[in-house]
Amino acid sequence: MGEGRFAGKVAVVTGAANGIGAATVCRFLDEGARVAAIDREAEGLAALLAGRPPGGLLTMAGDCTDAAVLAAFHSQVIAAFGAVDILFNNVGQSGRERAAEFHESTEDVWRFVLEVSLLTTMRMTRLVAPAMRGRGGRIINMSSDAAFVGDARLADYAAAKMGIVGFTRAVARELAPHGVTVNAVAPGAVRTRAHDQLSPDVVARIRDATPAGFIAEPEDVAGCVAFLASDDARYITGQTLLIDGGRWMN
Amino acid sequence: MSGALAGRRILIAGAAKGIGRATAERFVGEGARIAAFDRDEQALSALAAALPGNVTLPGDVADPAAVATAVQAAVSALGGLDGVVNAAGIDLLADIEAMTLADWQHVIAVNLTGPVLVMQAAYPYLKAAGGGTIVNVSSAAGLSPLARRTAYCASKAGLQMASKALAIEAAAFGIRVNAVCPGAVETDLFRSSIDAAADPQAAYEAVRARYALQRVAEPAEIAAAILWLTGDDSSYVTGTSIAVDGGRTFH
Repeated sequence: MGEGRFAGKVAVVTGAANGIGAATVCRFLDEGARVAAIDREAEGLAALLAGRPPGGLLTMAGDCTDAAVLAAFHSQVIAAFGAVDILFNNVGQSGRERAAEFHESTEDVWRFVLEVSLLTTMRMTRLVAPAMRGRGGRIINMSSDAAFVGDARLADYAAAKMGIVGFTRAVARELAPHGVTVNAVAPGAVRTRAHDQLSPDVVARIRDATPAGFIAEPEDVAGCVAFLASDDARYITGQTLLIDGGRWMN
Repeated sequence: MSGALAGRRILIAGAAKGIGRATAERFVGEGARIAAFDRDEQALSALAAALPGNVTLPGDVADPAAVATAVQAAVSALGGLDGVVNAAGIDLLADIEAMTLADWQHVIAVNLTGPVLVMQAAYPYLKAAGGGTIVNVSSAAGLSPLARRTAYCASKAGLQMASKALAIEAAAFGIRVNAVCPGAVETDLFRSSIDAAADPQAAYEAVRARYALQRVAEPAEIAAAILWLTGDDSSYVTGTSIAVDGGRTFH
């Protein structure tokens, strides 16, 4: 396919239609990878395809929280591209429109948040890991600096995203002898649709707590994911990399 | 010149050998102009021969006057500064009872005070450039302790916290400050530590076994992370410590 750092590589991105997922799909494509992208939103996926030469990007509209959908997606990727070199487990959601103080929260929301932010990552990793053990690879999981900060009204989200940190470490240890690195990224505030729904005073409070003094663009995170997926990061594994303009430094 | 660091002016302290040398080579390959500061004049000459057109500055990072002179000379030669890499460092393997005050002070001078003085001297020039990057080479031993390395671990943990505190202060000027934390790296420093052991082969195997990837890093693998933290792809990353340790500390 194309030229670049990821020429000849196959990258899989979940939750790919918008924001960080879409920015990372574009980054992988621009640097020569073939990419498989899944999202509930067919429209956003279609926008990714626009203007791209055919063959380099496989898209599937489907719900990542459905295990059967993920398995079908994985089969399609293998049929189309043969193997997976890079998996970016991006899909996740804070359920912020239903955020509540924990004493008022409900179990259906916890289950949704854990399902979409943690179990999807575990399932997708379970699908690609057996073949990656034979040929090496890169897995990058999506945590959040909210896991470290412990933002109020997001206890379920913090639990899911800290779960990603522990999952990342354990799987990194298991796959390291097989040439697979497993890392996580933990962004702070990023200008995405979820962010656009926040009230101006919440945005101002986040910005004030961020030494860099600005809200990240999705491309700021895509640059970190691309680094962890590249040969330059081959000795980095089990890590959670904060991309938050310095909001959490401990 | 194209590349991830095209046109950037970077001071590298401890540039003559090991991780510093690999960083110098990689940075020049990515289009940067560098000023290489090191006390090892012979190794510095070899670097100058390998990377013609760059600046070499002999001097000891543990000597505050030498640091001031080197930063000034780097600024004059490069016409300003866009970034700093603090790669100078020494190891000390000693039981607490055997460690002298002079031992402790020397490790702190080279691994902590020196890098801080380099940052302090370079800071006004990074501000004047409208922003910049500082990358401090700490150590996985500054994240997760090792026996018989009290001074070394303390100096490396201290360098990380100095990075983070400065990252807050410097953010307003568009200056990002980060640390990389290598594990064992195949360098002269690492070799001298292994060779000092009673059974070097056993010592090497013991080190190797600590790493999930089951091998010791090459200097270029650390330079790759330093490059990333210096380049624009890490534009929203500041105040962080990245372990490049093949899976030891799981930071």
